[in-house]
Amino acid sequence: MRSFRLLFTLSLLLAPLTARAHEYWLAPLSYQAGAGDTVVVRAYVGTGFKGEGKPLAARRVVRLEARTTRRVDIRSLGLNGADDYARLVLPDAGGASVAFQSDFARIELPAAQFEAYLKLEGLEEPLRERVRTKTSNAPGRERYARCCRTWLHGTDVARGIEPAGLTLEVVPTADPTVLKRASFRVLLRGQPLGGALVRAWNRPLDTGGRPFAVATRDSLGPVYEGRTRADGTVTIPVERGGEWMVSCVHMEPSDVRSEADWQSLWANFTFARPARSRPR
Amino acid sequence: MTRRVLRGFALGLMSATIFVASQAHAHSQPYSWIDLVATPDSLLGEVTAHVVDVAHELGAVAPESLASASGLAVHAAAVREVFARQLDLRAEDVRLTGTIGAIAYLPEKNALRAQVAFARPHSSSLEVHGPLFVWEDTHETYVNLRASGRLEVQDLLDHTHTRATWMTGEKRDLGRVVLRFVREGIHHIFIGPDHILFILGLLLLGGSLRQLLRIVTAFTIAHSLTLVVATLGWLQPPARVIEPMIAMSIIVVGIENLLAKQRHRDWRARLAFGFGLVHGFGFASVLRELALPADALGGALVSFNVGVELGQMAIVVIAAPTLALLRRWRPAWSPGILQGGSLVVIAAGAFWLVERLLAH
Repeated sequence: MRSFRLLFTLSLLLAPLTARAHEYWLAPLSYQAGAGDTVVVRAYVGTGFKGEGKPLAARRVVRLEARTTRRVDIRSLGLNGADDYARLVLPDAGGASVAFQSDFARIELPAAQFEAYLKLEGLEEPLRERVRTKTSNAPGRERYARCCRTWLHGTDVARGIEPAGLTLEVVPTADPTVLKRASFRVLLRGQPLGGALVRAWNRPLDTGGRPFAVATRDSLGPVYEGRTRADGTVTIPVERGGEWMVSCVHMEPSDVRSEADWQSLWANFTFARPARSRPR
Repeated sequence: MTRRVLRGFALGLMSATIFVASQAHAHSQPYSWIDLVATPDSLLGEVTAHVVDVAHELGAVAPESLASASGLAVHAAAVREVFARQLDLRAEDVRLTGTIGAIAYLPEKNALRAQVAFARPHSSSLEVHGPLFVWEDTHETYVNLRASGRLEVQDLLDHTHTRATWMTGEKRDLGRVVLRFVREGIHHIFIGPDHILFILGLLLLGGSLRQLLRIVTAFTIAHSLTLVVATLGWLQPPARVIEPMIAMSIIVVGIENLLAKQRHRDWRARLAFGFGLVHGFGFASVLRELALPADALGGALVSFNVGVELGQMAIVVIAAPTLALLRRWRPAWSPGILQGGSLVVIAAGAFWLVERLLAH
């Protein structure tokens, strides 16, 4: 009950965080697509795997890449302000993935809110460092970037399990759509990141592999929460069908101290698992 | 397992609380769009804004009442005014006036889209200022500007980035640059009570015309030096250092006034020079925010400084003779004016010092 009260208090403290504390994820309009089909990928921002569409901001795109039979930089194809981040015609039945990374945006929070947010996201290293440097009462000057990827399963699993090279990335180590317990690796600049808090959300899909409308569906709590091992992996029970989002936040001292003291990277990986697949 | 479920439930509830609480004072789609096409003599395009934002600007109008053709017809004139007021297009920083045409409701975005048309003057730059709405700081405006079939500007305006600029390739009118930056310099002096008080503090002690000229010249040379150095990017101390130092300079000038008579030495010219260097960095931060035209950097810099000087001279020309007349008219008031005035200066400086230290 105590932890519940703590979480509720935290939620009230964090209520003003409208911009950054939300997850930001990519999802196709439908996770079912075959050769010749057009796949449209959009971005969403919200909490509890519920939110709103987020138009593409061309100025903030660091990477926007589609992977089908090959990797294609699609930054120049995205129109500023458009709902669609990617519109692909699948060349084969191998599936596709789309990766997106934003540049850093800045935010400054009062000390209490910043501390609460660090606790909520399990960012223990910054918390310890603020205690060590006696700056726990100082406002949190932070810059943050998004690193998202979505995967449409197909016959070529490599399109989902090979890293896209985002600064922070959550990558399945094997096909999570057929395993009962799937392993995911968190990579920071290509290297395994141990001790990072990973959360996973799951919700059913509508007919035709379409996610339910993000704005009207219910907000959910994560179905999994755990820290990565030294090799950067976590094992998540993924036997439920539906849409999955596996996410991780990493915070480190800012590269640009004149702008911010801390920089955070928000990574996630979305995919869908057929409801009737047989786990093994 | 039960604990995990409870924890999941709690996190879900927390997420929902955060989301609901955040929605209580901000709507869920804080976006707007400005899409323009530039022809040689016009700017044509569309502006799209969410009904919540338009309704907020209208005042006592429910957003739902704009979400139909009939509702929109009732408020058409007021909605046009909102678009005209919020859409801020400028040519070399001179605001353009245009016409707001047909307005339509877009159900898929729950937004209103207005056709806009502006006459386009010859200018070296066109700027879109934004975001379109500022009543919530999460608002973002997507700006696209096309010319000659090419997408020239794709930008996103928010509370940290408020201007999208298209350099048209036409030659800049230097006269207009000079006028604008002289005006900005004067404006900055008069809206900055700290600069005014610093100058007044230097004048409180009075003195000969020669003494006053020395003080003013020292201040001018010093702030001009650092203004140039900072504007050219050679040295840019952070505002959290400069702003408290400006407040400190006011306190020091006040204290100097109180001590000068006992010391029989006038250090005001030295103080004016030393702290003038600090004030120059402050002026430079203002100038940076004005987005200096790269093709007329020198002109803008000199003009801004001239504006600052004019503003400063206006204060000296009014304040110095007034204080001198007051002393001559009522010699007995002279110590009171000096001490009282200096204490006010010190108090104001101390207030700003604390305020700025706490802010940074």
